[in-house]
Amino acid sequence: MSDFPPSSITSPSLAVRCLRALASLKLTLILIILLLAGVLIIYYTKTRFIWALALPFIGFAINLTATVLTNPVFRRQLALLVFHLALIGIALLIAVERLTYLKGQVEVVEGETFTGQMLREESGPWHPRRLDKLQLTNENFTVNYTNSDGILRRVDTRNQVAWVSPNGVAGRSIIGDQEPLLLGGYRFYTTINKGFAPVFSWRPADGSAERVGAVHLPSYPRMHLQQQNEWQPPGSATSVWVMLQIDEEILSPDAPSQLRVPDKHKVIVRLDKARWELKPGDSIRLPDGVLVYQELRKWMGYDVTYNFTLPWLLAASILAVLSMAWHFWQKFMARPWNPTGNPNEK
Amino acid sequence: MELQILWAALVTYVLAGSLAIFGFVMKRKPERTVLLLLVLGVLLHTTSIAMRWERMGHGPYITMFEALSSGIWNLMLIYTLIYWRIPAIRATAAVVMPILFVMMGWMMLFPPGEIGHKPQVYHTVWLYIHIGFAKAFISTVFIAVGISGIILLRKIRYGAERFAHLPNDTRLDDLSFRFMAVAMIFQTLMLITGAIWAQDAWGRYWDWDPLETWAFITWIFVIFSLHLRHTYKTSPQIGALLVIGVFITAFLVFFGIPFVSTNFHQGVGGA
Repeated sequence: MSDFPPSSITSPSLAVRCLRALASLKLTLILIILLLAGVLIIYYTKTRFIWALALPFIGFAINLTATVLTNPVFRRQLALLVFHLALIGIALLIAVERLTYLKGQVEVVEGETFTGQMLREESGPWHPRRLDKLQLTNENFTVNYTNSDGILRRVDTRNQVAWVSPNGVAGRSIIGDQEPLLLGGYRFYTTINKGFAPVFSWRPADGSAERVGAVHLPSYPRMHLQQQNEWQPPGSATSVWVMLQIDEEILSPDAPSQLRVPDKHKVIVRLDKARWELKPGDSIRLPDGVLVYQELRKWMGYDVTYNFTLPWLLAASILAVLSMAWHFWQKFMARPWNPTGNPNEK
Repeated sequence: MELQILWAALVTYVLAGSLAIFGFVMKRKPERTVLLLLVLGVLLHTTSIAMRWERMGHGPYITMFEALSSGIWNLMLIYTLIYWRIPAIRATAAVVMPILFVMMGWMMLFPPGEIGHKPQVYHTVWLYIHIGFAKAFISTVFIAVGISGIILLRKIRYGAERFAHLPNDTRLDDLSFRFMAVAMIFQTLMLITGAIWAQDAWGRYWDWDPLETWAFITWIFVIFSLHLRHTYKTSPQIGALLVIGVFITAFLVFFGIPFVSTNFHQGVGGA
């Protein structure tokens, strides 16, 4: 039985004709080619030219919706209907994800608390920002190494963190590698980006309150020969050059070892032609205050992501592939898989 | 010892393939012997991989030698199963075995390697599920390639004479479409499980790294080829060319990207 009144069958309205045009399988083919072009643009231009992907996806959503509305085969084949609805769901979820996502990086020194200030970030226009309502304290971390074929290889990362969620619940967790911290909808992952951080206190010459800051030296051991950085003490107008000189072997070239703060080290500070070698407790006078070297700690780089659509996207994807498999199963089992050589066989 | 067993497996595969080609040329059907040799080869190969896995403490996915060895193993395993269950495709052995010979020769160019370290991101069950679907995908396309080879060889008289006893092109085209549809399901599951693994390992389910991007491009190609065949009811020959195009793309992605990328996936290594 048709869903359209008899007059509509003989002379479909403009809206129905438009819907049927939008449901065209040939349009689907064009959209697949556009998607391919979009992927190549994104990959080769190394840009986030989001419209290159958004346009084909919007096109797919329209094409699939029109197909489901106009093609009577979907009222007969449930598996095909579920597959197309799941695909529409995936397209919508990806759109919502792009509008609400957050992706960024942050570096936190051991003993320091992250309160929402990101180092780098990008986010969708509708992202419900709650990072400043949570706290993450990097209590300490270990990274184990081994050697294989003469190459230093990272084994595992274990990071103890204390946290306070946006609704005030506090706790402690061990995270690292594949185990992120899930906090207020955000995921915090440890990364291979970590290193040393000389910690200084800064006593301003104008008598204002002492402040503490840390220099995040480049990632270790990846950049072990470049352990230096420009740094401006918090509240100071002076910028100094800080270098860490490590006088012992930290990661062994021929035995398992662990990343640790070196016992034997010097911190070298330069300002113009002046040069100081500092040990914990040493201080130097700068034009606008006194800089005191306190100690050497480690910092950990975290990847921070927010994407509430993840479980829904996974569910829709699994539903799509299972319904497609179900559809093919019904279709293919209707005829034998082992055809004979009989020329009359269809 | 494991290498000697591997060489024995390769010799057995070569014997099976040579016999299949001999049968094609001489218009004979040594199918039972070929099946026996294939089964023996797969058993020997499985033993060799298991011994190496036990000794190294990781599966065959760290060095290029291991990747190619396990690639040959999974192609042979699935092909042997289908060879056994669907006698109509047995003639494809003469088409697909030369591809395996090339892979075997290629594998011998690499040292086995003794890297005992497994990156931390490999310590997850998702690795095995992801790789399992990838192998099921390429193996299923591989069978469709064999069928497509027959369809194309039939265009010349020499091939038409030797494959005359097989089902007609339309029926073979339908069979190849089925294998490609099943391959598409496996490939989609491969992408989904890969995304789950990437989310766990690196905090993002997608990042446009070379292998991710080209795997996705291959998936689009598979979808495109199936849709084109369905929409335009293309001839068996066009369908066969599309299948071979998909296989070449997939093969280059699976075994070519590791040549141009430091790691199979971006971020796997790093100290």
